[in-house]
Amino acid sequence: LLHILARKNVLAGLMFIAIAALGLWVSRDYPIGTALRMGTGYVPRLLCWVLMGLGAAVLIQGLREKDAPPERITLRQLIPIVVVTASLIAFSLAIEQLGFVLSVLLLIGIGAVAARDIKLWEVAVAALVLIVLGWGIFILGLGLTIPVWPVW
Amino acid sequence: MELFDNLALGLGVALTPANLGFALVGALIGTLIGVLPGIGPIATIAMLLPLTFHLEPVSGLIMLAGIFYGAQYGGSTTAILVNLPGETSSVVTCIDGHQMARQGKAGSALAIAALGSFFAGTVSTFIIAAFAPPLARVGQSFGAPEYFSLMVLGLIAAVVLAHGSVLKAIAMIILGLLLGLVGTDGQTAAQRFTFDITELSDGIDFAVLAIGLFGVGEVIANLTRGEESRSVMSEKITRLWPTREDFRLAWPAVLRGTALGSILGVLPGGGATLSSFAAYVLEKKVAREPSRFGRGAVEGVAGPESANNAGAQTSFIPMLTLGIPGNAVMALMIGAMTIHGIQPGPQVMSERPQLFWGMVASMWIGNLMLLVINLPLIGIWVQLLKVPYRFLYLSILLFCAIGVYTIGNSPFAVLVAAFFGIVGYIFMRLECEAPPMILGFVLGPLMEDNLRRAMRISGGDPTIFIHRPISLGLLIAAAILLVMVALPAIRRGREEAFQES
Repeated sequence: LLHILARKNVLAGLMFIAIAALGLWVSRDYPIGTALRMGTGYVPRLLCWVLMGLGAAVLIQGLREKDAPPERITLRQLIPIVVVTASLIAFSLAIEQLGFVLSVLLLIGIGAVAARDIKLWEVAVAALVLIVLGWGIFILGLGLTIPVWPVW
Repeated sequence: MELFDNLALGLGVALTPANLGFALVGALIGTLIGVLPGIGPIATIAMLLPLTFHLEPVSGLIMLAGIFYGAQYGGSTTAILVNLPGETSSVVTCIDGHQMARQGKAGSALAIAALGSFFAGTVSTFIIAAFAPPLARVGQSFGAPEYFSLMVLGLIAAVVLAHGSVLKAIAMIILGLLLGLVGTDGQTAAQRFTFDITELSDGIDFAVLAIGLFGVGEVIANLTRGEESRSVMSEKITRLWPTREDFRLAWPAVLRGTALGSILGVLPGGGATLSSFAAYVLEKKVAREPSRFGRGAVEGVAGPESANNAGAQTSFIPMLTLGIPGNAVMALMIGAMTIHGIQPGPQVMSERPQLFWGMVASMWIGNLMLLVINLPLIGIWVQLLKVPYRFLYLSILLFCAIGVYTIGNSPFAVLVAAFFGIVGYIFMRLECEAPPMILGFVLGPLMEDNLRRAMRISGGDPTIFIHRPISLGLLIAAAILLVMVALPAIRRGREEAFQES
């Protein structure tokens, strides 16, 4: 059963159905109105029902496929997802307090974990080049008001 | 003549030192990302979109347009020398282009690709100049029902011309329409799908969504795939000029590719990729000895490479004249215009002739620059292919983060982009294509607005859409397209066209 559930189209269908269900649940109290005076909920609910129907069709298509291989997610694939997300979260938390230089260091430092064969000196060079480049383009060139150093 | 007056006005704008500079920057960046596999024009334009805040509108658009058609030039270099498509629109160029390179004719293949692209770029610039004004006049007579039907047709055509499952593409469009609704309802001021997060009450910013899906999402996808080994042709490119025989074979293919690309580019959902695939199929059909294809046929380079550049440029026509994006890049261009408070639509040409004609004229100048950038300077770009992806992705990631942050000086936006990065990766794994979703996202609010206005005009009677002749015609065209996809024969042909490689 798990093999069938992990097929591309089955997963896609389930994803569409889940999103549609979430949308219908969130919009349950939105006034629908009439076709002449459409309320806030008219178009969203209509779209959610259409999406649910399409999701069901994709799901059925996926279930009827013969020998579609199941999708697998390995640790090697999971690392980039987690690392890239983490580096962006760190950047977002740091930028307004710690300033540009430290935020870029954080982003590069965490992001570099996702590369399999990067050497420490390569990370250092990349960080240095990107800090100078980013500072030159965004702060010097475009005059954006990003603090360069930590704000105390 | 009106046409030449307009082009002269445009040249006046495009030839100012600043705008020449931005056209050059766009062409250089376009070539760069075209050469490098793993980053495409959609992600790049999305990342640079926030930067154009700080530029004159026309300069920003000139630069972004340069990236799009510049990528068509750069993509062929990688395809010919490394047998990897630098862009999806040069996938078919790999087939014969790389074979030519292996036979020692790399210089000839590169020159044919660049010259063909330049010819196509020149012709399609004139096509835009000639056909845009009448089309804009038609657009100005459109009311809410016509616009609604036109957008329905556009979205359906986008599905039909997309590769992959039609069902999933429609679902992605609906998803895009739903995402477009997040925020405050313009009519009733009620909050929709904001999950009580104040930052979402203005809706999801278009650039944040695009950077997340295409920029961050592609970085994740490339990292999970691992680095592919690239073997750049090490021999020196000796002869950068095609032989007489190559020329004789190539020029009819260039003409056919330009014609086909110019037509397919205008269609909603069309653009560079579709044009190059279709051109390859066409060249194979008309060739006297189809068996030469796959073994270094020069037409297999000339046709698709001309077609993708023509298609890239003519896809500006519906965007500039009607305000309707035909593909994801045009949706981004619309985003760039709205950033500057320009409402895209037929009135752009009459209200801002400088912007419109400046952009059109800059396309030809950009193509001229690209010819120089790509032929004599080819060696530099080949060197760039040796930069490993582990350096590239760190720069992409940083540009995504800073770009998103600077849109509204909002750290929250970076989190939203990170979220859509994961979403974009999931979509890629499940083969759900994100470009139709972006189209839906851009068109969603416009469609809802026009639907509501049409309903008010008709007093709640939905038959208004079939009582108005233009609207009826557009809807019939949409229905015909849908029926066509359902027919097995045509479905097979469609799959064939996309599975050429």
